[in-house]
Amino acid sequence: MKDPKSDANDVGMYISREKIHPREVDGPFQRLRYLAVFVLLGIYYGIPWLQWDGRQAVLFDLPSRQFHIFALTFWPQDFVYLALLLIVAALSLFFFTALAGRLWCGYACPQTVWTEAFIWMERITEGNRQKRLKLDKSPWTREKLLRRGSKHLLWIVFALFTGFTFVGYFTPILELGQGLMQLSLGFWEWFWLLFYSLATWGNAGFLREQVCIYMCPYARFQSAMFDRNTLIISYDEERGEPRGGRARRVDPKAQGLGDCIDCNLCVQACPTGIDIREGLQYECIACAACIDACNGVMDKMEYPRGLIRYSTENAMAGKPARILRPRVLAYGVLLLAVLSGITYSLTQRIPLSVEVLADRNVVYREVDWETIENVYTVRILNKDREAHTYEISVDGLPGIEALVSDEPVRVSAASTDSVVVRVRVPRSALDGPGNPFQLTLQSTADPAVKTVNTARFNGPRE
Amino acid sequence: MRASSRWLRILGGTLWPSFLAATAACVVFFVNIDPETLRMQTLPAWEIGRGTGYAIGFFMFWAVALLSSMLTLVLIDGGPRSQS
Repeated sequence: MKDPKSDANDVGMYISREKIHPREVDGPFQRLRYLAVFVLLGIYYGIPWLQWDGRQAVLFDLPSRQFHIFALTFWPQDFVYLALLLIVAALSLFFFTALAGRLWCGYACPQTVWTEAFIWMERITEGNRQKRLKLDKSPWTREKLLRRGSKHLLWIVFALFTGFTFVGYFTPILELGQGLMQLSLGFWEWFWLLFYSLATWGNAGFLREQVCIYMCPYARFQSAMFDRNTLIISYDEERGEPRGGRARRVDPKAQGLGDCIDCNLCVQACPTGIDIREGLQYECIACAACIDACNGVMDKMEYPRGLIRYSTENAMAGKPARILRPRVLAYGVLLLAVLSGITYSLTQRIPLSVEVLADRNVVYREVDWETIENVYTVRILNKDREAHTYEISVDGLPGIEALVSDEPVRVSAASTDSVVVRVRVPRSALDGPGNPFQLTLQSTADPAVKTVNTARFNGPRE
Repeated sequence: MRASSRWLRILGGTLWPSFLAATAACVVFFVNIDPETLRMQTLPAWEIGRGTGYAIGFFMFWAVALLSSMLTLVLIDGGPRSQS
């Protein structure tokens, strides 16, 4: 007898793959996915074209190190918002996964969304599933050449437009369009445009479900977020088995059959090519195409719907199922807390950032016997979209005063400038090195634009 | 078919995770360090734009992460298998 283990080592590691042509289905979940595809792709392709106050509304301007998102402008100093955004993304993933499994995979993942769009183009040019399967096997006739050729033409145009849009998030898209028309883009613009186009074309046209199965980290660790009350797509084995074909008007019970007629439509509809009747598998991206397919069949057979349905392990086992449970509530509360924190901090954001750097060469200088002077470079970053004139004042030590090199301090919109500030303190108010004092910068036009920095003043040791 | 699947697995298991890691590393690195400052401090005579700086950084991170991914793959695939 052959050793099954060596067999598994031989073949199991790399399953040979026939191209999967998912069968087209119609039903509420499929329509929901179409809606998601339209909305998400609409957002992706539409946003770079929006204008806001005379510039592109969403622009990640890497060369000048500023991210514009509608009325907000983010600087490298605002990195904390990006980190918070990633935390929100992770928490949302936990929350929705605990609640209803791989919602992300089935409806919102770019891999799913673009694959859906690419399959749609495949359907236009090569026909439905049966026709595509036949075309795959047929020799290279004129018709096959034409159909394949037009499919790839559509794919490539769509992929190029996707790459163009992607670069349009980083380079103003109108300039980019002009540059493309005149073939005068820079090297890196060409490079990233083609790189992203190629990635789209390869991922959505060819790799498809293999990305989910072999490349996606989330598919591997999502089981850690599941519990017995998570909504998953499940086949009601008790009701369906034993499966088997039967005539339409026959009572299955009389023949000793369950409700599954073994039509295999759920397998044909599956974009990852699994059989949901074998139970939950990590290849399942929870797209619910099998639910739509099966419900269509149940309707035809005049059986109740829901032989395959969204359910939980507990519900399937006949135990009480709870949707709202501590884990979901905890994720939800955390998510809300971080989101409201971000919103609050964004509304309180002051478009000014100041660094106070002490002169490293001269620790302190004696102006006269009574007065000690320290020199500071004050770096001002005006994050606002208009120029500001600032007033510099010092406080915190008796008799402290500041002499600013070039008054008034005016910094134009969205730029940095440095001023030298000489701070003088009477010797009697000092106690050796490192006396803390406050340096305040305040806009003359808008008193709310104000920051207070604490710096240290060095005096002689007694 | 089998050979191409194997290749897919090798590329998918190295290029992709290293791409993700490089993206993350690139973001964290360049948020804190301006490529312009880096150029001024190392090769002030060279004309390197910020865009090129970011790209060089990204590909360096990708290369390093790719090396690590490939080593992992070699160590996992080629080691002695436990007898069970």
